[in-house]
Amino acid sequence: MKLLTCPINGTRPLSEFIFGGEYREAPNQDSCTDAEWAAYVHNRSGAPGDKKEWWYHSPSGTWFIAERNTLTDKVSRTYLLGPNNTANIDINPVQEASK
Amino acid sequence: MILRTPKRAGEWVDRNKKINFTFEGEAFPAYEGDTISSALWAAGQKVLGRSFKYHRPRGVLSLANHDVNVLVTDGIDTNIRADVVEVKDGMVLTAVNTSGGVKKDKNSYIDSISPLLPVGFYYKAFHTPRRFFPFWENVIRKAAGLGVVNFNYPRILKRKQHSHCDLLVVGAGPTGLTAAYVAAQAGLEVTIVDENSQAGGSLSYNRGGVHSNLTELNDLLSKVASQPNITMHTSTYAAGYYPDHLIPIVSASGITKVRAKTVIVASGAFEQPPVFRYNDLPGVMLGSAAQRLIYRYGVKPFNNGVVVTANDYGYRVAFDLLEAGTKVVALVDLRAGVNGGICAKDLMRRGVKIYAGHCVYEALASSDKSSVRGAVICAYDDKENVALTDNKLTLECDGIAMSAGWAPAGALLYQAGTGMQFDYEVQQFVPSRLPDGIFAAGKVNGIFELDQRIKDGTRAANEALRYLGLQAPQNNIEKHVGISPSHPYPMVPHDKGKNFVDFDEDIQIKDFVNAAKEGFDNIELMKRFTTVGMGPSQGKHSNMNAIRILAKIRELPVEKIGTTTSRPFFHPTPIGHLGGRGFHSHRLTSLHDWHQTNGAVFTDIGAWKRAAYYPATGQTKEEAIQAEAMVVRKSAGIIDGSSFGKIEIHGPDGAEFLERFFTGTYKTQKVGGCRYVMLLDESGVVVDDGIASRLADDLFYLSIGTSNAAAVYREMQRSQQMWQLNLGLVNVTGALGAINIAGPSAREILATLTDLDLSYESFPISSVRESQVAGVEVRLIRVAFVSDMGYELHAPMVQVPHIWNALMEAGQKHGLRPFGSDTQRLLRLEMGNHMPGVDTDGLTNPFEIGADWAIEMSKSYFIGQRSLTILAKRSLRKRLVPFVLAQNFKGEMPMDCNLVVDGRDILGRVTSISYSKFIDRCIGFAYVTPDKNEVGSEFQIRTDNGSLVTATVVKTPFLKNQKGA
Amino acid sequence: MQQFDIKKIAPISPIAHAQSNGTVKWDVVNGMKIAVEFASADIEQARKKVLGVTDVSCFERYGVKGPQASQYLADREIAIPANPNAWTLCDQKTLVLRLGSSEFLIEDQLGGLACKKLAGDTMRVAGVYKVPRADAAFILSGSEVLNLFSELCSLDLREKSLSAKDVIMTQVAGISATVLRQTIGGEQVYRVWCDGTYGPYMWDVLLEIAVELGGGAVGLARYQN
Repeated sequence: MKLLTCPINGTRPLSEFIFGGEYREAPNQDSCTDAEWAAYVHNRSGAPGDKKEWWYHSPSGTWFIAERNTLTDKVSRTYLLGPNNTANIDINPVQEASK
Repeated sequence: MILRTPKRAGEWVDRNKKINFTFEGEAFPAYEGDTISSALWAAGQKVLGRSFKYHRPRGVLSLANHDVNVLVTDGIDTNIRADVVEVKDGMVLTAVNTSGGVKKDKNSYIDSISPLLPVGFYYKAFHTPRRFFPFWENVIRKAAGLGVVNFNYPRILKRKQHSHCDLLVVGAGPTGLTAAYVAAQAGLEVTIVDENSQAGGSLSYNRGGVHSNLTELNDLLSKVASQPNITMHTSTYAAGYYPDHLIPIVSASGITKVRAKTVIVASGAFEQPPVFRYNDLPGVMLGSAAQRLIYRYGVKPFNNGVVVTANDYGYRVAFDLLEAGTKVVALVDLRAGVNGGICAKDLMRRGVKIYAGHCVYEALASSDKSSVRGAVICAYDDKENVALTDNKLTLECDGIAMSAGWAPAGALLYQAGTGMQFDYEVQQFVPSRLPDGIFAAGKVNGIFELDQRIKDGTRAANEALRYLGLQAPQNNIEKHVGISPSHPYPMVPHDKGKNFVDFDEDIQIKDFVNAAKEGFDNIELMKRFTTVGMGPSQGKHSNMNAIRILAKIRELPVEKIGTTTSRPFFHPTPIGHLGGRGFHSHRLTSLHDWHQTNGAVFTDIGAWKRAAYYPATGQTKEEAIQAEAMVVRKSAGIIDGSSFGKIEIHGPDGAEFLERFFTGTYKTQKVGGCRYVMLLDESGVVVDDGIASRLADDLFYLSIGTSNAAAVYREMQRSQQMWQLNLGLVNVTGALGAINIAGPSAREILATLTDLDLSYESFPISSVRESQVAGVEVRLIRVAFVSDMGYELHAPMVQVPHIWNALMEAGQKHGLRPFGSDTQRLLRLEMGNHMPGVDTDGLTNPFEIGADWAIEMSKSYFIGQRSLTILAKRSLRKRLVPFVLAQNFKGEMPMDCNLVVDGRDILGRVTSISYSKFIDRCIGFAYVTPDKNEVGSEFQIRTDNGSLVTATVVKTPFLKNQKGA
Repeated sequence: MQQFDIKKIAPISPIAHAQSNGTVKWDVVNGMKIAVEFASADIEQARKKVLGVTDVSCFERYGVKGPQASQYLADREIAIPANPNAWTLCDQKTLVLRLGSSEFLIEDQLGGLACKKLAGDTMRVAGVYKVPRADAAFILSGSEVLNLFSELCSLDLREKSLSAKDVIMTQVAGISATVLRQTIGGEQVYRVWCDGTYGPYMWDVLLEIAVELGGGAVGLARYQN
């Protein structure tokens, strides 16, 4: 099972997380056209590549963003959304042995 | 035990512990530590099983968990692998896949008609004429599969556990043991697994007639034992590779999911059989199988043997046979011009005749076909791979040991995404691009010389250490030079066939040729057409030869053919292991005991067990529900609503949050007031609804349905994460319980337990109060969901039973009784209240359920608002309407999800329907086309049996408008 | 109106439903009816050494969250763990768990008084939100406790990985739970909290495995000295 790193709770198996879909900026709903809005609501890019995704750490109730390459399934960064949030984990491929 | 040799150091059997078992009704002796096959072989039993398709007699092939023709049953377990499973005292075993026993299998006639049954025949036959298919289906079903499922299988719990280590080493041969030792010395916590019952790998049996390997093994084992941070699991196989180094390891007692920081795969290689006519006879076995018999179990493989080889390994096997007391009649080497060096001279000195550039053309069967009586050998053209049959020679023997090469045990590497390439120096696929943190060493890495393998284990351990950020030296391994351990094409064609490539599925060389002629000349297609590699051993002894044959047919290099995917699990794993302990988490309210005591029938709603209804003795579900509903209508009922979602929104921005999250307005909501909330998703689809009660300027209390509560809270958290408003969300679903008391007598009953003024004027519908009820601080919400007169009482979960009991007692003289969640559904239907998720689906927008009133479009933003502006411009496509069936309707009752039809057109569907005893009418909700929206419109519902029932659109509430109508 | 003396009506532990079969001695502790004894002291002591499961839902608890929560607690002389997902002991008798960064669970051990004091303070302060607690709470003791966790939790809870002051919010037996390691009476134990409504399920799972591993239910009395 894949591991994912919650910026607050650390590295956990995927079973502790709920996927919240791709993170996308909504167009300005007052100025966008109906077609633009419909495209935002209904269309997703399935092309593999770097994506920002919503993930939810269920036991602690933590929503965060993971930057994941959907082709390689590698997560490069996880962080809390928002200006007040500083917790930011760069995923280091080199792991430390327990001593 | 006629073939038992004198005791020898390093044996796995304990000669002091004699045990007895029966096989096919006959008694056999054994030693503890014997496998079923080794004990039978020692006793001279040669036919151990029958092949899957042709029911040919089969004996020992690998003794390494690939002898899938030797599956036995003890009546409990279905397919026991006799070659590796230890025999236990008192076992009563029979072979599977026979009709009338392994010796006189009645199905062995199939072998004689095998020319009529080429691969793929069943794809082409049997389907016409159609009327015969049921007959053939029955025959084929009986023939397909192995063993008989034991439906009385006892429930034996197999635990599924988690474990963690720095390094997992797969394979406890010399390479793996070395790697584990080096890594452990550097401080790593190491887990090492091996499917054999003892560690050592080939060191335990590949001796070449001398015993230095045994010394080496004992040295290694004592070094490993000296490291406390090595955990060794034997009789345990690494079953697969899952992302981020999660490897389930399987033993008899269960599965352990090992999460390793890094993995070394030192899983070795499978010996591959050369292919010649009758290479499947009992007595023809792999060289390594003969060695395993000798050194692990003290069994002489045969008395007079021929070794057929296509590499140098066969020479070692010959020495080991001599060591065991076998007379080695001849060594037949497919390779011309290989003199075998000192080994060959030594062998010749010991009376072994060496036939280089020769092949075994066919093995000769004894008259009862149950054993070998000789081998026909002849010259072999090693370039064209054909037998030169001009000067055939028959050698008398009772066994043939075969050594032609190896295939890497690379399943885990493949699963981890390793790139493999074909290395012609060793005639084997080897890793060319390894994923992060995974290392391969030893034979699976194409390294065969023992000293090099040990170096390779050290190298892999050092690479693993560096991967973990530790210091470790760099080592280089010499690439293999000289003669390849594997022959590029150890195949001997024969006009009459029966030269088996895949023993699981009885596939011969000509089957591949035929498959290619039919156009199935891609390895994946060929696999499916011939079924090569699809038997229980999953191609461990056949895939490599199949690839070689296909390469030859297509005149392509081997690496252009590719390999098939090797998926988990590495060996068949019992369902009971996969199931493990069943975890069925569920939530109980504090009233669960009460419901149970009072005969409730429970239903699962979300994670909760809810009381659905309380049937009196002899009462049907329907009767119980109607009776409970009737009491609510005439007096009062009480329901445990503790599973409702309950969320507090604290802080100055609470109203702002609600206005963004839900469709209504809340900034103007007065303290003490309640408002309806409806949640949409961004596309404007109705997700859920509920009630927001304002307890203070800066405190809202939200109650929502049971099943969706967790998801709604989660979405609230996400929205807050984005909006960063000045508030705090507190999920009190489990902390607070709730009781709903409803019905005309509810107020009177409640009044006896509280000081609160319950009059309509001071506590009207849609208001909230905080007060004591039965001495407990309670939030009272005046709701009208199931009855015009109803109170929800929200209080700490642990206090709820006290309040419930007080209400029950106070309500006794009013006939107060509990009702369940099924009854609640009927009651709310009578009230004309629709429910999200029941009367809506994943496409329903609020206009379609007539919820326009709940939407405040003038707000600057709410979730789904922008989509509603688009939807509002469109004409409705469907509309939820309340309907009744004819008075005294007696036909087939329509059900939820029955279609609303107009001739052949589907207009909509029924979402809720029920008979209401109180109203004495069938009532419900259905989607119809908007033109049927008007009161009095009629539409047709098609029942399950196809009859049409007329329904009439009415006004809600049903209760007021239909009662007595 | 009927009068009730609510003090005399002790609520029952959320786990009690799962404990009711068998001979259980009940007592009221902190106003909650709780199982204090399942078997003789000898048997329970033996279980405790191997794998004891004890219901301590009756411990007083106080929950609070919000941006000002840590200041609020500090003002009330509650010791605050410096880091998220850590715990500390306050006045020797009160556990203070920091759940994530801005939520706290405070639990009085037997004899602790902090929670009552905090609960008595009904003043509403901006940025401080009370979190009502209704936990099912457990003490897991004994030599086999990690063996039990290996089946219920995918995390490495061994001493080398779960440091003494860590609080872990994870899944245990498939449901959300909070776990830490604590020393009670010189003995290292693990603590588990989950939502009270999952309590009976959690008890059943813990006990089933505990019994298989040679342990069993241990009443609160074993910790009441």
